[in-house]
Amino acid sequence: MSHSHTDQEAHNKEAMAEIKKVTIILSVFTVIELLLGFWMMGMTSVGLKLAVKGTIVILMMAKAFYIVAYFMHLKHEVKNLIMTIVVPLMLFLWFIGAFLWDGNSFRNLRNDYDPYFKEQATIKVEKKEGEHGAAKQEAAEVKEIAAPAEKH
Amino acid sequence: MSTTTTASPNEAKLWGGGKSPFNSEYGKVMMWYFLMSDAFTFGAFLISYGTVRFSTNGWPNSNEVFRSFPFAPDGVHAPLVFVSIMTFILIISSVTMVLAVHAGKNMDKKGVVRNMIWTIIGGLAFLSCQAWEWNHLHSEGAWWGMNPFLNADGTASSTNFTNFFFTITGFHGFHVFSGVVINIIMLIMTLLDKFEQRGHYLMIEKAGLYWHFVDLVWVFVFTIFYLL
Amino acid sequence: MSHEAALHNHEGHGHDDHGDHEHHDTFLTKYVFSQDHKMIAKQFLITGMVWAVLGGLMSVLFRLQLGYPDASFPWLESILGKWAKGGQITPEAYYALVTTHGTVLVFFVLTAGLSGTFANFLIPLQIGARDMASPFLNMLSYWFFFTASIVMLSSLFVETGPFSGGWTAYPPLSALHDASPGSKSGMDLWIIAMALFVVSSLLGGLNYIATILNMRTKGMSMTRLPLTIWALFFTAVLGVLSFPVLLSGMILLIFDRNFGTSFYLSDIYVNGVGALSNEGGSAILFQHLFWFLGHPEVYIILLPAMGMVSEIMSVNSRKPIFGYMAMLGSLFAIAILAFLVWAHHMFVTGLNPFLGSVFVLLTLLIAVPSAIKVFNWLTTLWRGNIRFTPGMLFAIGFVSLFISGGLTGIWLGNAALDIYLHDSYFVVAHFHIVMGVASMFGMFAGVYHWFPKMYGRYLNNTLGYIHFWITIAGAYMIFWPMHYQGLAGMPRRYFDFSIWESFKQFAELNRFISTVAMIVFAVQILFLINFFYSIFKGRKVTVQNPWESNTLEWTTPIRPGHGNWPGEIPEVHRWPYDYGKDGHDFIPQTTPVGADETGTH
Repeated sequence: MSHSHTDQEAHNKEAMAEIKKVTIILSVFTVIELLLGFWMMGMTSVGLKLAVKGTIVILMMAKAFYIVAYFMHLKHEVKNLIMTIVVPLMLFLWFIGAFLWDGNSFRNLRNDYDPYFKEQATIKVEKKEGEHGAAKQEAAEVKEIAAPAEKH
Repeated sequence: MSTTTTASPNEAKLWGGGKSPFNSEYGKVMMWYFLMSDAFTFGAFLISYGTVRFSTNGWPNSNEVFRSFPFAPDGVHAPLVFVSIMTFILIISSVTMVLAVHAGKNMDKKGVVRNMIWTIIGGLAFLSCQAWEWNHLHSEGAWWGMNPFLNADGTASSTNFTNFFFTITGFHGFHVFSGVVINIIMLIMTLLDKFEQRGHYLMIEKAGLYWHFVDLVWVFVFTIFYLL
Repeated sequence: MSHEAALHNHEGHGHDDHGDHEHHDTFLTKYVFSQDHKMIAKQFLITGMVWAVLGGLMSVLFRLQLGYPDASFPWLESILGKWAKGGQITPEAYYALVTTHGTVLVFFVLTAGLSGTFANFLIPLQIGARDMASPFLNMLSYWFFFTASIVMLSSLFVETGPFSGGWTAYPPLSALHDASPGSKSGMDLWIIAMALFVVSSLLGGLNYIATILNMRTKGMSMTRLPLTIWALFFTAVLGVLSFPVLLSGMILLIFDRNFGTSFYLSDIYVNGVGALSNEGGSAILFQHLFWFLGHPEVYIILLPAMGMVSEIMSVNSRKPIFGYMAMLGSLFAIAILAFLVWAHHMFVTGLNPFLGSVFVLLTLLIAVPSAIKVFNWLTTLWRGNIRFTPGMLFAIGFVSLFISGGLTGIWLGNAALDIYLHDSYFVVAHFHIVMGVASMFGMFAGVYHWFPKMYGRYLNNTLGYIHFWITIAGAYMIFWPMHYQGLAGMPRRYFDFSIWESFKQFAELNRFISTVAMIVFAVQILFLINFFYSIFKGRKVTVQNPWESNTLEWTTPIRPGHGNWPGEIPEVHRWPYDYGKDGHDFIPQTTPVGADETGTH
């Protein structure tokens, strides 16, 4: 092509600036996600928790957008290529919606008609010294069975 | 029923045959659609996870499960810290991959080699972290079909938490592994001047697409398993 | 810049030397590990035909059981051994036969055999390319399919028999080894075969998409593509987006079978005691995942047939296809809707009824593009100067079957009706007519129409007419009565109906159906004889364009070599359906548009 050298250099600079910008955005978003995650740990309000989770999902989608658009260069491709990628991805909306809807319905169904299933959700397992009692017991068993695991 | 009049002259030329309408060679088009298809594979896994989680009454709290850190003394719990390191490793390796692709576009062999090496190191570091985490969870008694963790509300948990965790992170790890292998092959081909002879570094670009996809999947896996 | 150079050279990619000179091919590189799309297409076709015969034979065997439940056939024992002790098919063998029949015909014959054959054969020839975008991946695609075939075939010979839980492989029958004999190693082999098959279809599909987008010859804009290519394009898209979901489902199933997980296992009680060590999953999840593939799969089977029928119908009516853009739009609409309707297979499974009603709505929407296509075919025929070649007859037969099978689809799409008709012979009749037999007809139409291009010889017409008339009459005689049986409540997947008083009345009808099925199967053998005889001894093609067709494949030599066109690839100047225009019977796509021509397309 007929790019002159200065053109090329300007283009390079622009591209590098873009990479830098996207790197920073991705890092910032991740940090925000983590902060939200920490904040959520002690949270008791269900509504607030749901709102935070929604925010995290939005941040996740934003990160995905930046990776696809800039790192994978999709934003700079021909419009038609963008469309052939984005349009099929729309299928995920119904894919996710219908699956989760039916998953939820299956839980309600079982809670209504399967007393054993419902009972399970109310019996608390006894905790031995700390929260990880059951875990440690199991771990010990595993170690006995699998010798190689002992190293760790 | 005229069909070509609606398109602008420039676009009509692109779609008029004899040229790729996407301005990219067939390998890249194929790579994009392969990634679409792989997105549906991962999508199906993650959506299955969501479906099962929605159809189960309780679920373990990820902050109590993923709270260890290598070389940390017993009793020190640091939820989210280790996985955030893994996430940053992958993001940085994605950045170095972009730089490698960029260097390839400028026919800068040295830049390609340097950045590819960093990307490979990043990939290997991520895999090591994952190996450590798997190993740690296994030593706690977690595996396919074994779930030592309790639900957040203290009730017994079904094994599906660990089942999905190991299956999905395993499948992602397999992708990272194959990405590292591809990157190593690309590095060797660069060192052997294969791309210099061809006159273009398009192969690096395609490997880059794959690598970014792996990073992209991790964005979802990380959020869904560790944060939500 | 280097990139630009690489981009502009793409059409010459790797094929610059494929001009008119023949390669020094050994037998192995020419016929076995061939990278020529035409040879790969023939490999797909013949492998598909082998499977069609096996699958058909299985249907004959289980129809024998359904038609003559009390009789014993000693010769059966000599072929099937312990699966037909005393000359009567055992229930296990019956279910294995039904399952394998479904799997093989849906995936190996009507997916690989149909779109594998015609996508490989027609895409490069009709868009004007030397070969596929990646001939190597194309070859791999066939060999993955071949390996899948071998694995599936070997599952027929394992001690405990092939998988017998239905082609949909629902857990727990597919997830628990002890659920049935076929759930043991037969199921493992089934999963492996399907996984290999997914890889094969993925490699093929990516290749088809990239080829259609990138390798079109000069002047071949997307709206100048024959409808075959459009149909194959959407087929490939459907395959690339839906098969991976099946792969995920299969991976989870492997874990459930072998590694103690319970993705699909909720809970099972035997005598009030929980029988599973692992539980808590959801069996419905597998059904969702399966049908997320399974429904697009129906269109993966149907669309190539639709595309070929459009092309053959236009050529043999000597008329442009009616409503090219509407045909294209309806293909697109079907491709999208195919992904949105999967749960209409699951109305009685415990699906949320409100969710079900959304699926009813989406399902019934498919009637719109389907109807558009049907009326466009009919109006293409309207006042046409029709040539009743065997290919054309099969194309018309396809439309007939598509209408009669599609109409019952509207019944089954309604949850209220489906809850009554589900798992009855009504369903069997519906999907066999609309998807099985109709696509088979599309495939036959394609074979009859393009056989001269494939082998440089004609198929025998008389045998073709016999084949057509007996097959279409037979198809209706087999499946029409099944609607009646289904409405009367006769359930599918039963081994023996004679022990129920209420179904005894159908004994005679069952016998009739079985007899017709055997006759129809025999006629397919006649077709096979015609096919293989004609490859070697058929009447030779002497003209380049025997059907006087417009599309590019008829501008190649009668038996095109590797690279298809000896010289330059021809340039395209018009759409492919200029039949009966301005006093010309047909105007090939390569003819430049004349100055005095009326409204160019």
